[in-house]
Amino acid sequence: MIRMFHVDKIYPNRIVALKDINVHIKKGEFVFLVGPTGAGKSTFLKLIYRGIIPTRGQVIIDGINISRLKPKYIPYLRRNIGIVFQDFKLLYDRTVYENIAFGLKAIGATNFEIRAQVKKVLNLVGLEHKKKAKPHLLSGGEQQKLCIARAIANEPMILLTDEPTGNLDPDTSWEIMQLLFHINIRGTTIVIASHDKLMVDQAKKRIIRLDRGHIIEDNPKGTY
Amino acid sequence: MIFENFGFYLKEALLSFRRNLLMYFASIMSITVIFIIVGIFLLISLNLNFLLEDLESQFEIVIYLKDDISTTELNNLKNDIASREGVREVTYISKEKAFQRLLKNFEEYKDIFEVIEGNPLPASLEVKTEDSSRIESIAKGIEKLKGIEDVEYNKGFLEKWFKITGFLHWGGIAISILLLVASVLIISNLTRITVYVRRNEIEIMSLMGATRWFIKWPFLIGGFLQGCIGAVIALATLYKIYFLVVDKVQQSIPFLPLITNRIELLPVGLIIVLVGCLIGFLGSMISVGRYILE
Ligand SMILES: Nc1ncnc2c1ncn2[C@@H]1O[C@H](COP(=O)(O)OP(=O)(O)O)[C@@H](O)[C@H]1O
Ligand SMILES: [Mg+2]
Repeated sequence: MIRMFHVDKIYPNRIVALKDINVHIKKGEFVFLVGPTGAGKSTFLKLIYRGIIPTRGQVIIDGINISRLKPKYIPYLRRNIGIVFQDFKLLYDRTVYENIAFGLKAIGATNFEIRAQVKKVLNLVGLEHKKKAKPHLLSGGEQQKLCIARAIANEPMILLTDEPTGNLDPDTSWEIMQLLFHINIRGTTIVIASHDKLMVDQAKKRIIRLDRGHIIEDNPKGTY
Repeated sequence: MIFENFGFYLKEALLSFRRNLLMYFASIMSITVIFIIVGIFLLISLNLNFLLEDLESQFEIVIYLKDDISTTELNNLKNDIASREGVREVTYISKEKAFQRLLKNFEEYKDIFEVIEGNPLPASLEVKTEDSSRIESIAKGIEKLKGIEDVEYNKGFLEKWFKITGFLHWGGIAISILLLVASVLIISNLTRITVYVRRNEIEIMSLMGATRWFIKWPFLIGGFLQGCIGAVIALATLYKIYFLVVDKVQQSIPFLPLITNRIELLPVGLIIVLVGCLIGFLGSMISVGRYILE
């Protein structure tokens, strides 16, 4: 599902964020991307949804080499990838319902589809009763759930989450993790960038460890 | 694509209006003022043309005939001139008729005229032309004919007329173009600001997989609406002002011909609204093309 061959990413300020990355993440896998701040985790995720292009090497998503993807095809790549951002990127002047509907509308869903999908994902993450609330009235965990709901509303093949438990207490973090396991069981490939040691250790999933842009460990059932 | 999601585009465009009400108000007012000015130039230009058409019917060439011209010569001359291209009407004014006209026009000097022995006025042919711009060439062609003493036409007035109207016409066009360019810039600038205000929405849409056109349409519709609304308000204002002015003018100069037929003014309205919509679209297009990438 996700393959990288000899990928380097050097930012314009000449910081080498990733160096000679080779990975293969299969369909339906659940992967933790771990490492200290600045290791290159967010950069790794951005390469997958073509938020950035690699300086060198190939990124292949579902058999398509996206390093050379023409800009006009980027939207169609992204429709297959759900993203949960570290900074949430919610619209704070719109309700919970509208935030998800807006994401679906953006890819041309009909009003009928939108109503059905929003209801479905709100139920899944347990936010049905808050659908009319504005996001700033939600707790950190609820905002995170809203982001997940929006990301999976389109039923993407891949779900990328950047530090989903970054600022949450352990109980809420575990709740979020359960939710992600649940989504994974339904077939979605999940990549989580995290430096939440407790969470990663509890999950007992595949771990790809980055350090200063290098993969220093790739363990199918690792701990932090 | 646009029709499929038109409701969404319009909703987002109107949402942007609501959130930046003051800025949109200022922009639309500027567009309105610009279109009122452009409209005034357009109306002046149209009325001058209308006036010219009316005056043209009064422009004529006067041919003074030699006293010894014979009736056959006169008839030949009259037929020759009447058959020339651009000539609408030839009228013969005999010596007697000319004198009577003189008496009638200057009744208060009747005494003086009575002292004059005989009739010193020449007979003449008055030629009406179809088109004022051809008066000169027609007059030049007639001059060489036999039996003619002199040919007169109002050259000076015509030249002045064309000079003044030409100046107004081209000046109006130049100023209008400048103002229309300014209005494109006004809309383009506000679009740039709204793109900035809505950068979160744009980023989210893009990351969700919205196409570039999908992201652009609400802004284009926003620009279109600004131009359109501005033009419509300008049109309503112009309509009121125009008939007010026409009324006033006709009270003080009753014989001055002005366009009062609403059907004849319809194209002005259509042009203003169409150009308004076009300018709104163009202005937003410029910014959307520059600031919404990928
Ligand atoms: N847009 C950018 N421009 C320049 N440097 C960047 C940019 N994004 C990240 N970096 C740098 O690249 C390195 C890796 O960053 P990042 O991928 O965000 O790491 P992580 O998510 O693991 O904390 C860091 O040194 C960071 O400062
Ligand atoms: Mg990061």
